[in-house]
Amino acid sequence: MKEVARHVVLPFFAVLAFFGCEKTPAPPSASPPATPSPAAANLASPATSPAGESTGDAEKTLHIFCWSEYIPQQIVEAFSEESGLKVSVETYSSNEEMLAKLFAGGGNYDIIQPSEYVIEGLIKEGLLTPIDHARIPNMKNLAPEFTNMSFDPGNKYSVPYMAGTVGIVVNSELVQDDIKGYNDVFQEKFAKNIVVLDDAREIVSWGLESLGIPVNEVSDENLAKVKPVLEKWLPLVRVFDSDSPKTALLNGDVALGIVWAGEGAILLNEDQKFKWIVPADGAHLFVDSLAIPKSAKHVQNAELFINYVLRPNVSAKISEAFPYLNPNVAARELLTPAQRNNPASFPTADQLANMQTFKDVGEQATKIDELVTSLKAQ
Amino acid sequence: MAVAATTTSPKRSSVPRKYGPMQVERWVFGLWTALVFAFLYIPILLLIVFSFNSSRLNIRWEGFSLKWYAALLENHALLTAFQNSLIVAAVTTILATLLGTMGAWMLYRYRFPFQRTIGFLIFIPMLIPEVLMGASLLAEFVHLLKLPLGYTTLIIAHTTFCFPFVLVGIQARLQGLDPFLEEAALDLGATPVQAFRLIIVPYLTPAIVAGALMSFTLSLDEYIVSVFTTGPQSQTLPLKVYGMAKVGLNPQLNALSTIFVIATVVLVLLSELLAHRKSS
Amino acid sequence: MTADGAASSQAAAIFKRRPGLVAWLVLAPLLAWLILFVIVPTIMLVLLSLGEQKGLGTVHFTFTLKNYVRALDWTWLKVLVISVGYALVTTGICMVIGFPAAYFIGRSSEPLRNVLLTLVMIPFWTSFLIRTYAWITILSKEGVLNALLVSARIIPEPIGILYTPFAAVLGLVYNFLPFMILPIYTSVERLDSAVIEAAYDLGAGPLRAFSQVIIPLTQPGIVAGALLVFVPSIAMFAITNLMGGGDPPTIGDVIYKQFTSGRNQPFGAALGCLLLLIFFLSLWITRRQRAE
Repeated sequence: MKEVARHVVLPFFAVLAFFGCEKTPAPPSASPPATPSPAAANLASPATSPAGESTGDAEKTLHIFCWSEYIPQQIVEAFSEESGLKVSVETYSSNEEMLAKLFAGGGNYDIIQPSEYVIEGLIKEGLLTPIDHARIPNMKNLAPEFTNMSFDPGNKYSVPYMAGTVGIVVNSELVQDDIKGYNDVFQEKFAKNIVVLDDAREIVSWGLESLGIPVNEVSDENLAKVKPVLEKWLPLVRVFDSDSPKTALLNGDVALGIVWAGEGAILLNEDQKFKWIVPADGAHLFVDSLAIPKSAKHVQNAELFINYVLRPNVSAKISEAFPYLNPNVAARELLTPAQRNNPASFPTADQLANMQTFKDVGEQATKIDELVTSLKAQ
Repeated sequence: MAVAATTTSPKRSSVPRKYGPMQVERWVFGLWTALVFAFLYIPILLLIVFSFNSSRLNIRWEGFSLKWYAALLENHALLTAFQNSLIVAAVTTILATLLGTMGAWMLYRYRFPFQRTIGFLIFIPMLIPEVLMGASLLAEFVHLLKLPLGYTTLIIAHTTFCFPFVLVGIQARLQGLDPFLEEAALDLGATPVQAFRLIIVPYLTPAIVAGALMSFTLSLDEYIVSVFTTGPQSQTLPLKVYGMAKVGLNPQLNALSTIFVIATVVLVLLSELLAHRKSS
Repeated sequence: MTADGAASSQAAAIFKRRPGLVAWLVLAPLLAWLILFVIVPTIMLVLLSLGEQKGLGTVHFTFTLKNYVRALDWTWLKVLVISVGYALVTTGICMVIGFPAAYFIGRSSEPLRNVLLTLVMIPFWTSFLIRTYAWITILSKEGVLNALLVSARIIPEPIGILYTPFAAVLGLVYNFLPFMILPIYTSVERLDSAVIEAAYDLGAGPLRAFSQVIIPLTQPGIVAGALLVFVPSIAMFAITNLMGGGDPPTIGDVIYKQFTSGRNQPFGAALGCLLLLIFFLSLWITRRQRAE
């Protein structure tokens, strides 16, 4: 017994004490204290808060459930300080993870951050609270093309946060070819030199686009048409990675790939040798939005937060951290020319016009998953 | 040479030899162990080096900087998450070690109904894919037990996940136990509880320590099960870290790990040296 | 000098007794935990596997077997076989690499023994992701290892070590090695020096000393280590994805995807239950064979 105490318990608690007492003043049960950092002070200045903002719910808390790292910590802290609300942030790394917890009913989330096809489904199943536009005057900052999207006409239930596309990145030092579309990427000469997203829906949509079929028409017939295309493509892929496909490109382990626009923008910022190409066959646009679940307990606080995020300077700060397509035109004006001209972040108007958005495809999702898994395992 | 009882192990050879097989054995295995440690610590050394890298992406060295350490001290969210991880891991270790040790002992020493089935069931938390364990525990916590998600549910989930490791380890050690030892103690008048405390537990100590180390390690890094069973206030470090890969892992993590690794190594060395000094 | 583990457990079997009051008081909470947090969730999983998912996440419990029918397809079974293959290779390599280290640590005297033991674990108290990304930095084409090999003229130009099954196994071995070393250590620690010396005294070379004396004596630890590496590594997919490039897919990844893009949680549960079933069948068969 004494030996156990000596070898395990004591070093153990010594370590705990060392880390537990030293750094964080607040006890673990409290949410991260909103201590203002110098940058946050900038964002919290009352001078920039427009008139007409409501005071929120009686209970001064807000539970945010969002993608990891998608809402910068300093923004949360600044909002918390200015509004006086206690904000807790829980994170997920996929839409379905979020849905699983939402459906389980265990957490009480006031704000969620779903992608477009999920919002469609949530609206259909009546799981979102309608947003009171009167309490979110900053919605006027949104670009017109983002105010009436097919998955949520009139932004009744959601407010676009960040959007993006999926496109081709080429390491021009390793690849001198002129890459224009998906078929240019999947050539024999690039065998085992390609990185793609590990997303069955995405992969199938590229196949469909290369055949000229709209991405949402995933009938069994069309899947059968796409299968031989993918059979040719997938063995050429070296890395399947949805979390950080930029790693393989940065490390020189692959020469080109099809990745998220945000990843592309980071690569372009990192090194001039990377080039971004929007596939000529067609691309699709994804939109991540903020929404309020039906089970939310602090709807007005949530609306306060959404309005806060739509402020130009706040939104610009988000763009700084995540170079995605910012739907906030007022924020775009605050960006540096380099940020605004990053082709991965901001596609041209023609490219945008050509883009489709994913719709929920119901049970075909299962067939898509099976198709890609069986081809991968060959 | 008589074979001594298995609970004591004299380490010194009775016939001192300079280059005998025992010594050769020691050198060869020592070299191998050194190589194994090199293998284990190479990535750790790399991440320590990169914690001083001025560039944000851990790919190229671009210059020495302490800015990540400075930023870390301001990053309350990260530190709180780390603190949560440590607390959850500590409590999990205590519970899992208790469960595992007592479980192994009960299975070894006693006969009770469904014993063999239980021996099979303990493998479930080890084998089952974490997403399934997480989803099923979440469903149970929310719908059956009506427990609010937070530290309690997190610790329950982690303990369930860790205790089979302890149990299997203790079972292995028990297989080498001389059963007559306990009999002898009982014959001399000890109660089963006393026999357990004074004979069995000291014998099991290395396995208990090993089990505790394994539990702590498993709990500290547990991600998927934590996703499903945590509440908003009990975010652990892996939960914070796993989304960071999208924008490139923040070198503040390197700084945190560096501090933790160095602190634990120093603490372990100190505590062992002090204990050794006291006893010798 | 036979494995006295066998003799010991035979003797122990004779001494097994029925629990008294105190023993039941200890047994009760253990059983309660087992029932509440292992058996009940498993039953819920089986129920889930008999259902169907509609829409975004609502599952209808229709008590259908169609998920299992679908699971018994070579597409999925092949993935299962691949995963078990990876697990076996990992376990084998861990055994070979880990045994000598565990032996050395177990035979060391205090305080070296405890220091080394804890030092084995400390690297794994860093976050899994940064550890793995450190390996990626080392193994990438522009990474440390390739740089060393090229400058030492061993290879003409950088080779793609990463995103291969080799790298996946390397990652798996790295993460599971401590779980092989620690159980073997607990068996080595109780070895009596006198026994080993006697083996050498009686003329056994190191090979015979090990194969006929030491390994049989440490067999429980080796088996425990093998279990603690093999079993969890079957469903482990984060490592194979990150370091192996996600190709070929593993059963853990496939099941995880059913909860995300696959939109078919019941199917994922069915695959999981199938895995459990196959495992328990194998375990049962092995135990029966050993009893004979």
